[in-house]
Amino acid sequence: MKRTTLTASALILAAVPAFAATKGEVLTTYADIAHAGYEDSLTTAQTLNEAVDALIANPSEETLAAAREAWVAAREPYQQTEVYRFGNAIVDDWEGKVNAWPLDEGLIDYTENQEPTDENPFATLNVIANPNPTVGGIEIDASTIDASLIGEEINEIDGIESNVARGYHAVEFLLWGQDLNGTEAGAGERPYTDFVEGEDCTGGNCDRRVDYLEAAMDLLIADLEEMVGYWAEGGEAREAVMEDEDAGITAILTGMGSLSYGEQAGERMRLGLLLNDPEEEHDCFSDNTHRSHYNDGLGVQNVYLGSYTRVDGSTVEGPSLSDLVAESNADLDAEMKSKLDTTMGAMTALSDAAEGGMAVDQMLAPGNEEGEKLMMDAINGLVDQTATIERIVADLGLSAIDFEGSDSLDNPDAVFQ
Amino acid sequence: MRYALVLALVASPALAGPQEAIENHILPNLTAFTEAAGALDDVAQANCEADALKGPYNAAFDAWMRIADIRLGPSEQGVLTISFWPDTKGHTQRTLKRLIEAEDPVVENQKDFAEISVAARGFFALERMLYDEDYSDYGEASYACALTRAMTHDLAQQAAALENAWREDFVPVILNPGVEGNTTYLDETEVVRAIYTQVMSSLEVTADTRLGRPLGEPTRPRPSRAEAWRSERSLANTMIVTQSAYDLAVELADWELPETAAAMEQVHAAAEKIEDPGFQNIDDLSSRFDLEILQQAIDGVENALEAELGVRLGIQPGFNSTDGD
Repeated sequence: MKRTTLTASALILAAVPAFAATKGEVLTTYADIAHAGYEDSLTTAQTLNEAVDALIANPSEETLAAAREAWVAAREPYQQTEVYRFGNAIVDDWEGKVNAWPLDEGLIDYTENQEPTDENPFATLNVIANPNPTVGGIEIDASTIDASLIGEEINEIDGIESNVARGYHAVEFLLWGQDLNGTEAGAGERPYTDFVEGEDCTGGNCDRRVDYLEAAMDLLIADLEEMVGYWAEGGEAREAVMEDEDAGITAILTGMGSLSYGEQAGERMRLGLLLNDPEEEHDCFSDNTHRSHYNDGLGVQNVYLGSYTRVDGSTVEGPSLSDLVAESNADLDAEMKSKLDTTMGAMTALSDAAEGGMAVDQMLAPGNEEGEKLMMDAINGLVDQTATIERIVADLGLSAIDFEGSDSLDNPDAVFQ
Repeated sequence: MRYALVLALVASPALAGPQEAIENHILPNLTAFTEAAGALDDVAQANCEADALKGPYNAAFDAWMRIADIRLGPSEQGVLTISFWPDTKGHTQRTLKRLIEAEDPVVENQKDFAEISVAARGFFALERMLYDEDYSDYGEASYACALTRAMTHDLAQQAAALENAWREDFVPVILNPGVEGNTTYLDETEVVRAIYTQVMSSLEVTADTRLGRPLGEPTRPRPSRAEAWRSERSLANTMIVTQSAYDLAVELADWELPETAAAMEQVHAAAEKIEDPGFQNIDDLSSRFDLEILQQAIDGVENALEAELGVRLGIQPGFNSTDGD
């Protein structure tokens, strides 16, 4: 045995990566990427707001197209931040205001083929057309549409989550309208005249629609400002992550795994495929779902590798979870990197196909085998990478993936009450 | 020979739990479901009317609930196509309406029918056809009759395919962790954790979703969000799936689980107090209270199992499919 000792030590030394990352440094990188991501989300939302103002001041094909383009650009950085959601209670509590989905858009404006359901009697309330809607026997004063009405009173009205009145998808619906093309080509086709006040108004109540869009944008920007602050130096979310290093590392892995598996592979992609329902795509009005999926996947990879490319092309990077795993188990780190690459390869193929003319809603069409394969490859990649995330949790000796807490561990006496 | 024997002795105690869980629980329950779904389809092909189907429908649903929360291997997708719930956006009513209004000929070809939206397949679509008065009053020669037959036949085929996929493809993977080429399960601990995750997430889903969704907020109960309330199966589903999670845990454990068994007795005691099997009376405060007690009793089983099984095995549940929203 003694003879091999030197060789063995040399091997171990060789395996130690250049970065000997501490948990604290890894968490700092994680928080820095969050801050940069939300900051990019805010600046692109401000650009969107300017485009929306231009649309309202002078509704035309061009100003509507510019606003839509700005919305798509604003989604790029935001979707990369979704990986922060499930591991950080502050983000998860806030997220519903900004990115709630799916929504019963008939709550907001005119729709076709919608009706109230078991779940939601208000699925066709249409606040824009209805200044005095009645909910649960109580009449609501919706005569003035402003941030307080849609943010406080209408959003999640009657406690129903699909009553989404604010956030990116509400704005998306106002800019595009319902996508009535089913699983055929084409996104929502709302005419710019829906924003023309006076005689040429289409869709009715253009003045109220304009008020709605302005209020929804005000809320979105205020919400993003709030989240940028939470991740700044001394901000609540940053402090929460740094407070207990093991819990912070667990938060990173929880966010990666929950987004990959339950949320993205399951709720958003597999279920959409199985429902064959064109509305079961994350950005269903704009047909921008492929970018949503791609950027969600990229966000997971970003936090693992500790590197984020900002909208201006600069990079935020530092000691990473990958460095930490590599120190403990180099093979496991290689496995994680390889699986993230596989997923991103599948996401790139899916995104390219969509940009090339096969939107995600078309991929969901029954019998579209090529589309189904593109979706399934991405789903399988996500499921597969989740298994490796679980291995990392075990390898690092971390406990409790469930960030809501575990009764028996938090409070052993509670178990046998 | 002696060497092989030593290896076998070392390997088998570690694998006893997963092997028993699969061979004594999952596989026999898959077989029972295949048989019950086949029996439902046999009746439907002879007489498609709602009243004739309710008995075998409930028998098949009972059998399904024994394995409804296992989301491993082929069940990951199979669960969704057999029991699509919760349906938060009303997909089932919308899809059925569209099929019926158009008299969509997809019902004439089972292969095509297997490609349609899951919202029109499986137990919850069938429940609408059999129990929702907007649909259930159909006769032999109607489109709805043909649709119902397509659903039962599809369900029987899905059941057989699911069982087959487990036996032929997945059991060799899950019961041979760490062998060359098995990248799904690298060692026995991963298998134990995977099965343990099914048990724990089933209990969590039952308490939080099957009961939590209809309970809503104290001032705002949501009876129409109860699982299978139209067929008044909400309580039955809750009890079968909870019992099955417990039975699976018993197979997985190589030791007694006395606290968990005691917690299960609390579940049964709480269930006896429930008067409406479809949970439609929870507007009434005392009925709501009874359902909350049942919910807490199921939480109690989860907590007891965590201590008696998870802590002792030194494992935590992995990610589950409900980790998202």
